[in-house]
Amino acid sequence: MNQKVRLVVPEAPSPQAVAETKVRAVAKGGIRLGVLDNSKGNADHLLRFIVDGVKALMPVASVVSLRKDSVSLPAPEAILDQLAAESDYVITAMAD
Amino acid sequence: MSNLAQMLQTAGSSIEADDDFDAINALMREKGWSDGLPIVPPTEARVAAMLAYCDRPFDQPIAKIAPRWGEATPLRLAANAVMAGCQPRYFPLYMLAIEAMCEEPLNLYGVQATTHLCAPLVIVNGPVARELDINCGHNAFGPGHQANASIGRAIRLALVNIGGAIPALGDMSTFGSPAKYSYLVAENEAESPWQPLHVDRGFPAEASAVTVIGAECPHNVNDHESLDGEGVLMTIAGTMGIAGSNDIYYQAQPLVIMGPEHAKAVAASFSKDDARRFLQQHAHLTVSKLSRDNIERRVRVTFKDRLANPRPDDLIYAVQRPEDLLIAVIGGAGKHSAFVPTFGATLPVTRALKTVDGRLAKSVEDFRRG
Repeated sequence: MNQKVRLVVPEAPSPQAVAETKVRAVAKGGIRLGVLDNSKGNADHLLRFIVDGVKALMPVASVVSLRKDSVSLPAPEAILDQLAAESDYVITAMAD
Repeated sequence: MSNLAQMLQTAGSSIEADDDFDAINALMREKGWSDGLPIVPPTEARVAAMLAYCDRPFDQPIAKIAPRWGEATPLRLAANAVMAGCQPRYFPLYMLAIEAMCEEPLNLYGVQATTHLCAPLVIVNGPVARELDINCGHNAFGPGHQANASIGRAIRLALVNIGGAIPALGDMSTFGSPAKYSYLVAENEAESPWQPLHVDRGFPAEASAVTVIGAECPHNVNDHESLDGEGVLMTIAGTMGIAGSNDIYYQAQPLVIMGPEHAKAVAASFSKDDARRFLQQHAHLTVSKLSRDNIERRVRVTFKDRLANPRPDDLIYAVQRPEDLLIAVIGGAGKHSAFVPTFGATLPVTRALKTVDGRLAKSVEDFRRG
């Protein structure tokens, strides 16, 4: 039987992805939907289909659609702030 | 905390295994803590020896590595350095490279997760490059030097094990790249006619520094015929105008590597700034080299101010501004240079090697404990 040896773990665990949750006060007219187009080819088409699907399932009071300039860079603060202010839920997507 | 034995009592910081090389390697592969090549078992004794060259607390993260945002503590980095075959005296430079590539301008999240085939290229300058015998000459990007091979490999292992750049999960590269095994060189300062790269980037010549670039592999530029610097630069510029390059659509900062012979030919009639200006002006492609859909969907969008209605002979530049081009002298004898395109949505980061109290390090021995 082999002797045992202690090895140092080289891995970092995933941060606990515990999203902050709170009950959103959704207006009677329906949810405010945010859409972030990541500028990948066809992302706009895919997002449009998804928005249509959501509208078929539940009342939607408003849709705010914004677009990143680059798929490879994070969304600028201004876009994130506007989505946070004007949306109850945000959808983003890849395409191509 | 810097008491290793005490730290290893923490849940999840160590595992017990059969003391058998093959069994340990099988375990590492099963856990996904491997690049596919055999690793050196990261035993407590080997990790302790590595940490003898660390002047930081062993459990305090020096960076968070995307896309997992795993915390890169010296302890975890030391385990990866042992696994890669690093000598302990390499450890300060390895930590510096990890810190530099996690700075925001590099956009490591994008570099790690993209379908593109880029990897962080580390170029080392200054006295520590010589102290550690980092190859800057013949075959600098190839095999044969422990420092190049093992520090580069340790970086990749950390990017996977701490950062989560697991192929097809956190690293979605369509092809990957041989540069994802190891991608670290030094500049050949002794044979360069110009000031070193880190001095171009604002650091003192006596500093040791790393410059990290989210880069493709080098593309060779063969020019055995040009008899003057302008000829060499024309050939390099002609190589840089690539239709499939990310750089043409961003304000990117790609790298031109000149072999020492080409650099001397160019320096006879160009300063480094003059060479940058020449290359920026001459490294381009015409719109006619791009497909109709690329013109419609990218050129007209990206260059809407200049090329809203492009003609076939309009120019698209490989580099938008002369100051965006990095030039380094690397390699041995031979009339070759190389062009290193980038991921595009990334900017190079240069960082100097400093001790924990903020002094420029003169030697890796400055980091040694005890």
